[in-house]
Amino acid sequence: MIEFKDVSKTYPNGTKGLKHVNLKIEQGEFVAIIGLSGAGKSTLIRTINRMIDITGGQLIVDDTDVMTLKGKSLRRFRRKIGMIFQSFNLITRATVIKNVLTSYVPDMPWYKVLFGVYSKEQKMKALEALDKVGILDKAYTRCDELSGGQQQRVALARTLCATPTIILADEPVASLDPIMADEVMNDFSRVNKEMNISILLNIHHVDLALKYADRVIGVRAGEIVYDGPVKDVTKEVLNEVYNGAEVPEMGKEKKNG
Amino acid sequence: MTESKIEKQMTPLEMYESRPQNLWKRILIFAILVVAVVWSAGGVQFNGIAAKGSEVAGGIVYGLTHPDTALLFDMSTEGVFYLTAQTIAIAILGTIFGAILAVPVSFLASKNITNKVVAFIFRALILLIRTIPSLVWALVWIRVTGPNAFCGVVTQSICSIGMISKMYITAIEDLDTGVLDALDASGCTTFQKIRIGVLPQLSANFISTTIYRFDINLKDATTLGIVGAGGIGAALIQAINSRRWAMVGSFLLVLIILVLIIEYFSTKIRTKLAGSVKN
Amino acid sequence: MAKNKIDQAKKPALFDRIFKPEVITLPSGNSVVRPRSRMWLISIVLLIVVAISIKVTGFNLAIIFTRGNQLTFILSKIFQPNFGYFNKVIGPLLDTVKMSVLGTIVGCLLGLVFAIFASSNINRNKPTLVIIRFILAILRSVPTLVIASIAALVFGLGTFAGTIAIILFTLGIVAKMLYESIETIDMKPFEAMISMGCNQFRAFWAACMPQILPTYLSHSLYCFEINVRAASILGWVGAGGLGILINERIGWRDYNGLGMVLLALFVLVLCIDQLSDYLRGKLS
Repeated sequence: MIEFKDVSKTYPNGTKGLKHVNLKIEQGEFVAIIGLSGAGKSTLIRTINRMIDITGGQLIVDDTDVMTLKGKSLRRFRRKIGMIFQSFNLITRATVIKNVLTSYVPDMPWYKVLFGVYSKEQKMKALEALDKVGILDKAYTRCDELSGGQQQRVALARTLCATPTIILADEPVASLDPIMADEVMNDFSRVNKEMNISILLNIHHVDLALKYADRVIGVRAGEIVYDGPVKDVTKEVLNEVYNGAEVPEMGKEKKNG
Repeated sequence: MTESKIEKQMTPLEMYESRPQNLWKRILIFAILVVAVVWSAGGVQFNGIAAKGSEVAGGIVYGLTHPDTALLFDMSTEGVFYLTAQTIAIAILGTIFGAILAVPVSFLASKNITNKVVAFIFRALILLIRTIPSLVWALVWIRVTGPNAFCGVVTQSICSIGMISKMYITAIEDLDTGVLDALDASGCTTFQKIRIGVLPQLSANFISTTIYRFDINLKDATTLGIVGAGGIGAALIQAINSRRWAMVGSFLLVLIILVLIIEYFSTKIRTKLAGSVKN
Repeated sequence: MAKNKIDQAKKPALFDRIFKPEVITLPSGNSVVRPRSRMWLISIVLLIVVAISIKVTGFNLAIIFTRGNQLTFILSKIFQPNFGYFNKVIGPLLDTVKMSVLGTIVGCLLGLVFAIFASSNINRNKPTLVIIRFILAILRSVPTLVIASIAALVFGLGTFAGTIAIILFTLGIVAKMLYESIETIDMKPFEAMISMGCNQFRAFWAACMPQILPTYLSHSLYCFEINVRAASILGWVGAGGLGILINERIGWRDYNGLGMVLLALFVLVLCIDQLSDYLRGKLS
């Protein structure tokens, strides 16, 4: 469970990233966070695994106050939270399975890391994770030979190997075309339902958010302006969130592009 | 009609007159080049073909076409095979040790890994190594190791550090930091991040650079042999100076074939390493 | 899309035919094919090669430690250069520069000519192509110093031999780099000009030169940098320049003097590198 208690983030140069955020997210929810660029979506997500530090309030994740962690305990904490990036962040020259195996690295002794020695059990688990996301046949191909959607699946398999309780995704489908984006969102949905992992997604395209998520959080200028189930999202709500600007949708890009 | 508009379209004549004046620049560059050539040529005296000059040229051609086959197949330590093997061995060891030593040096000289002062010191060090010609290094090291093949290995290791570091630094400063972000988010220590995130990105480039340097070191090893650092160089120069053309021919032929073979394979391996870049 | 799939169904690589890939089957029923790692084979070969090399070169690390003091002795003297020696240095220094400049310019020009004849897309005559490439290969593989010593025998000692050596060496490198570039350029403008009635040379000059000019200049600058360093050595075999001084000083064990020569060389190389960086900036 994730709990934001009056959380604020002020950057050293004075900009306010987050203002008095109060949220409660239960285990197993699929939450989509929408808003304009620069509204604070990324900041919100990255405070959860402390890629960004909060400057006010309290953030409690699975009964741990995030700001009390440091060094070893912080690293152990991060093991349980998976993160998916817009640019995949894979080792492009390495094979798919090598990339998935890197999720075991934080727990391995230094000599095994140095020589890149993984146990048979780890390799089998990695293969099963790849099977789960549907790209088992590409296990021994190089990552830069895969399409964008396939690479994101590899990133997803990499996070699944660590059996996380929460998965954070920062614009996971922004670099993908509409068909691939749909497939990847489907994967997130399956992982959420089958493994009861909480999913917090930053997403630019509102139609995808509404199609796959259970709950929507709208962020505007660092504040939460909407927090509720998908079915209650109306045109007025979207106007609030996007400040009257045109709402970005994947469907529109399909027509134009 | 056109005159009444604020911005009028130019007539062709006006376009011509306002064209960029490249002509003066080109004349200047050409003049500089001509002056450079004339000044240099002044300093280079042509003394005509020396007394037995054309004989020498003829001798070389003769030697290349009628190599000393007995020498060619001589398997002793004076024979072509052993000396060539020695030359190759010098190049191999020199390249490998140079490549290994260049790793820490280049990391310490990269602006995105260490701070400015340390980077500056190490870059100056690398520049120093690269400026002193390998021949001079060899002559200095002969005092330490004596005139043998080991001297060649040490010299080449040091000189290789110079060039290899320069190329490593370019690769290091081009690193993709996105992977480091991902490893950070999954809870890795700095050591793990470097080993898993940084090294794989660099390994292909490092190996390619090393192979490229091996190519160069092979020719260099021959040159070093001339001052006594082992290998085929000394024997070759002696043969040239004593005008034993058949011997010269056999040495030259072996050398040429060797260099060409290595060049062929190294280009092949390096293009393969550059990897399959799909769209 | 379908065409790519057909291309991918090639014959498996030689390694994979000898060491058959492993098939791994998961509990879910799906299976994947894992090719055997090539790493161990490469490592073994590498280890054997290094072992042989160590034996053949008489590698002996201990000597460095026992006689290392010689090195520090010499280096310390080199770093205390004898500035009074400067007058003797300036002449050969200028000679080195002149040899490099002339040698590089002439070598690059000749290299261009040879490159044209060595490009398969411009020179359709197979026999001449092979001969020219063969000559270039020879020029590239013989070390500059060897060429210089031969030149010194033919033309006598002095800077002319050195210049010839640099010309030949530059010619070899520039020609190779150029013909590799020429073979990748777009030939359509060239064909267009031929169809308009130009002869080969004009067509080349007008259609191909602009495409290869940037690479050509870049490679020429690179050669110039190398040649300055090389020119300083050629004197060793009597071909003029700083090399003669280096030979002398080391022969006399005058390491302070050697330090002065090296310092002059260092400054020269520094200036040339700066100049070439500046010119490269101007080019792009």
